[in-house]
Amino acid sequence: MYEQLDKRDPAIRAEIAARFNGGIPYNQAIGLRVEDVAGERIVTALDYRECFLGDPVAGLWHTSVGLAAADSTCGLAVFLALPGLETIATLDLRMDYLRPAVAEQGLWIEAECYHVTRCVGFVRATLHQGERERAVSLCTAAFMRTGRQLKP
Amino acid sequence: MSETKEPKPMSSHEDLVAAIPYAAYLDLRIEQADDGQARVYRMPYRDELIGSPRLPALHGGTVASLLELAMQFEVLIAEQQTRIPYPVDFSIDYWRSAAAMDCLCRCRLIRSGRRIAQVQAECWQDDPDRPIAFARADFLLRAVDGDNPAE
Repeated sequence: MYEQLDKRDPAIRAEIAARFNGGIPYNQAIGLRVEDVAGERIVTALDYRECFLGDPVAGLWHTSVGLAAADSTCGLAVFLALPGLETIATLDLRMDYLRPAVAEQGLWIEAECYHVTRCVGFVRATLHQGERERAVSLCTAAFMRTGRQLKP
Repeated sequence: MSETKEPKPMSSHEDLVAAIPYAAYLDLRIEQADDGQARVYRMPYRDELIGSPRLPALHGGTVASLLELAMQFEVLIAEQQTRIPYPVDFSIDYWRSAAAMDCLCRCRLIRSGRRIAQVQAECWQDDPDRPIAFARADFLLRAVDGDNPAE
C-alpha cells in the first residue's frame, strides 16, 4: 500500500520527512531540522553550535558539518522523489566550498533530486546562511536505490 | 595562548584535535601506525554516529567528516602549517556501509605546492584490505600573508 502514497501531498511529504529525519540518530545529535519539504526543492537547517567550529580563531564553521548535513538532506530529497518508501544508500558525494560559513549564524541546506533512474537518484544541494545567492557550498551526489521498501 | 600574531606549529596531536572543535566533538584520535611513519586517524564508535539503526550503520556524513578532517590534519602535520588549511573541494565514494564500530583512516599527500595541497584518504574498520570509503580533497595552504577565505 505504501507504493500508493501520494508524495505530492505536502502533508504526507512533511510526515515522511519528519519520520525519516527522526529515525537518523546523527541528524538528531547535530539538531538537523526539516524546514520545508512541500516542493521539489527541500530545505533543512542547522542552528549554530560552538562544537561545529573548524577555525575558532577566525570564527568559521567546519566544512565537515555542512558535508554531513548535505548527505542527510540529499538523501531526504531522493527518498521523497522515489515512489513508496524505498531505502537508499549514498554512492558518492562531492562538495565545493565557495566561502566559509561564519559562526553565530545558522546553516540552511536546499536539495533537489533532479533525476531518477531505475537504480540511481541524482541530487544537488546548495548550502547558505540565509542568502541563497551567496552559497557557502555546493553539493552533488548520487544515491543507489536498494529496491527494498521500508516497513514502517 | 601566545601573544604573538603568528601561531606556533602545534606540537602534540591532542593539541591539534582540540584546536578544531568539530574534530574534538567527533573525538578524533591521531595515532601512529604499527609500520612507523604513517599516521592513522580514528573515529571511536558511539551511538549518536549511527545513520541507520536498522542495519545498524554509521551515518555516511560521519565517515565523510572523518576523511575530510584526517586529510586536513595530514596536510597540517606533513606540511608543518601554522594555520589550518581550508578545503577547496572534497569528494567521497562509499564502497561499503560502515558498521557500528570504530572507523580508521589513512591519508596520502599526493602533491603539495605553494598554495594547494592535494590529498587522498581511505577508511576501513576491522580489515584494512576491505576499505569502506575513499575520498579526495584539495586544500588551500594559508602560509602566505593576507589570505582571507572570506574574500
